[in-house]
Amino acid sequence: MPLIQVEHVDKSFATGHGSISIMKDVSFIVKDADFLAIVGPSGCGKSTLLRLIQGLDRPTGGRIVFHDKGVDTVCGHMAMVFQNFALFPWLTVAQNVAFGLEALGWGKERIAAQVERYISVTGLDGFQEAYPRELSGGMRQRVGLARALSVEPEVLLMDEPFSALDALTAESLREEILQLWRDPALPPDAVLLVTHNIEEAIQLADRIVVLSRRPGRVLAEVTVDLPRPRDRKSTAFYDLTDKVFSLITQPGPVSEGPGTPEGAPAV
Amino acid sequence: MAIYVALPLAVVVTATISPGLSFAGIASYLPTAGVDVTYSFLRMVAAYSLSLVFALGYGYYAATRRTSERVMIPVLDILQSVPILGFFPVVIVLFLSLPGPGFLGPNLASVFLIFTSMSWNMVFGVYESLKSLPTELREASDTFGLRGLLKFRRVLFPATVNRLVYNSVLSWTGGWFFLVEAEIFTTNRSGLPGIGSYLSYAAAGGNGAEFVAGLFVLILVIVALDFVVWRPLGRRAQRYRYDQAPSGEGELVSPTYSRGRFRRAASYVTRGVRSGVSRLSTPLVQLAAIRIWPNRRPSPFRRTAISYVSVGAILVVVWLILIAMVIAVFHVYSGPIAPSVQHQILQLPEAMGASTLRVAVAYALCLAIAFPLAIHIARNRRASQYGLPTVEVIASFPATALFPAIIFVLVPYLGPDGVAILMLMTGMLWYLFFNLLSGVRSLPPDLEEAARAFGVRGRRFFRRVLFPGVFPALVTGSITAFGGGWNTLIVAEYLSVNSSHTLSVLGLGQMIDIGYVEPNGIPLMVSALLTLVATVIAINELLWKPLYRRSVERFRID
Repeated sequence: MPLIQVEHVDKSFATGHGSISIMKDVSFIVKDADFLAIVGPSGCGKSTLLRLIQGLDRPTGGRIVFHDKGVDTVCGHMAMVFQNFALFPWLTVAQNVAFGLEALGWGKERIAAQVERYISVTGLDGFQEAYPRELSGGMRQRVGLARALSVEPEVLLMDEPFSALDALTAESLREEILQLWRDPALPPDAVLLVTHNIEEAIQLADRIVVLSRRPGRVLAEVTVDLPRPRDRKSTAFYDLTDKVFSLITQPGPVSEGPGTPEGAPAV
Repeated sequence: MAIYVALPLAVVVTATISPGLSFAGIASYLPTAGVDVTYSFLRMVAAYSLSLVFALGYGYYAATRRTSERVMIPVLDILQSVPILGFFPVVIVLFLSLPGPGFLGPNLASVFLIFTSMSWNMVFGVYESLKSLPTELREASDTFGLRGLLKFRRVLFPATVNRLVYNSVLSWTGGWFFLVEAEIFTTNRSGLPGIGSYLSYAAAGGNGAEFVAGLFVLILVIVALDFVVWRPLGRRAQRYRYDQAPSGEGELVSPTYSRGRFRRAASYVTRGVRSGVSRLSTPLVQLAAIRIWPNRRPSPFRRTAISYVSVGAILVVVWLILIAMVIAVFHVYSGPIAPSVQHQILQLPEAMGASTLRVAVAYALCLAIAFPLAIHIARNRRASQYGLPTVEVIASFPATALFPAIIFVLVPYLGPDGVAILMLMTGMLWYLFFNLLSGVRSLPPDLEEAARAFGVRGRRFFRRVLFPGVFPALVTGSITAFGGGWNTLIVAEYLSVNSSHTLSVLGLGQMIDIGYVEPNGIPLMVSALLTLVATVIAINELLWKPLYRRSVERFRID
């Protein structure tokens, strides 16, 4: 029984001169305990897809089903981690983590206990009263993560969560997220990661949905059956990276627009 | 910090050492001055509270409803580019006709006036902070389902705090200027007890001690407000900025925040300049192109010429129609217009020329002072450190408070026109100075280094680097300065301290005042006001707007 079903989803935006199609006929499913990555070149609608799944935006065509029900408003059982952290600069770390809980209408003490718990889970102990401006990028993203986890979502949505961080910080945070996801005592059940970093997707995910450039379509679904912890230098890892890379950069019927994706050499 | 003590002290010291004044003499007037300043202060508080509520509501609706935005923002644009003070007499006449106790009319009128001068820049502050709230923050609040009061408390209100505080400082500075001006204006007439009328009476009686006591109390209040309210608030507001500043750089608390706030004010004004009548000229240009040159597109020069002429023509026609309507309405409802008033209405074009000339001369003098001063302060560390706070405190003091004394003391030396121009300058100088200062300061250091590396110095440096670099700031400064000038006209051209000390020079400000004072003068007052508005719009559209466009296209440094 799938957790999320994305069924033939189209999305287009109206502009001054008609409309631009962002994605066309995108379908895939997210299962319980899945770690699913969505990769694709810039502008293929990856982040838009994440917003459609949470219900921040509505698809132009097709539908998204969560637990048998169509998603038509913002879904409270999912929580998002943002690329640029989206922390409120006027709230302290603790207040930022409590942000979603307040909206749920919890009592003060219950909020405080929950905030404490997730602050320590994400390694933010001692920073409760700090303001986001005083933190490094890695610490800020931990706050973003704590805020998302504290509402105990079934699905954690992550929109390029590591791309605003330096390489070393990103690496250690990736490992931590993997551990959180594998801990049965902690939410979430499933993680949906949007990234343009193919290695990151292979390192973290069980399955990878590969999108084409605009308008985004599903080019392939790749299963990653490498044992964890995954060795980036192994041949199997390299071969998989190469496979996904050539899927994205291949010229073919899927790429309708002129030009190649930026930065991608011909394979 | 020292400046807070130094400035009031300096006033007292200079006053006590001047002949005929004693410390005890001044002190004896302090209680009455205190009472009058309290009246003024209460008016300011009332107007500010109104502005705050209005700004939050108007700004919120304009920022969140697409359809309201389309109407609300252009309306505000037009309102704020019009000289508010010119409307004061008209507003008084309207409010005086309200039922209720006699003191209500002028008080409501002055609060309303201050409100109009304060609110637009706060509305823009709210509107722009909500508009520029990063998408991710908005999404974050949506994903967690924040609604209603919680959303207002946690997201919407905090998002506006930073801009609201900065713009409030600006609003209070402008508010004092207008309040004192309004109180002076109504002295001897409908009675508006306050520091403006107090100073006016003191000057009329030739009582130096009384005047100095008033000044002292006013300075004390302004400095105390800055020290107790605005600076602490400004420091706290830093937390509410939502730019992506890397950690560590966030905690800067500059004591010299007026740079940003004047620049912002400038940007609101230029925004006003960009809208309005100019939209009308585009179809006319196209029309002319069809009629006159059926087969070819007019050259850029011709297009410009046509749009200039058509904007000018539209304004003249609209202006004539409006004045004709005013006269017709009065003719029907209050009988024929008195011959003396008729005569003065016919003088309006001449008055318009005189006022424009006066504002232009005052502008040139301000530029001659502000440009060198800005360059000196911006490029000199010590001057920046000590000179700037002094200038800031002086700039936040409403120069209008000195007008009664200026008339008393300086008319014999400068003549009426000289004094009028001097008063105009006090309403224009700071806009120009602070804009130029921010312009010189934001000149990229690498451009300067490049110039030095190539040996570009002196006049060539000014012509090739400094002037082009500062040009956009010069244009915005000029626009705001002219706005300030138009607003000051109403007291600068006609100010009656007592029967022997009255300043009156031919101009639109004078006509508005005379229309207000004279029996049956209302048609004159309204016509003069319309002429003033038409002049302001014409100069904005024909001079500042093209210059602004040019400065953006050619001189912007990214």
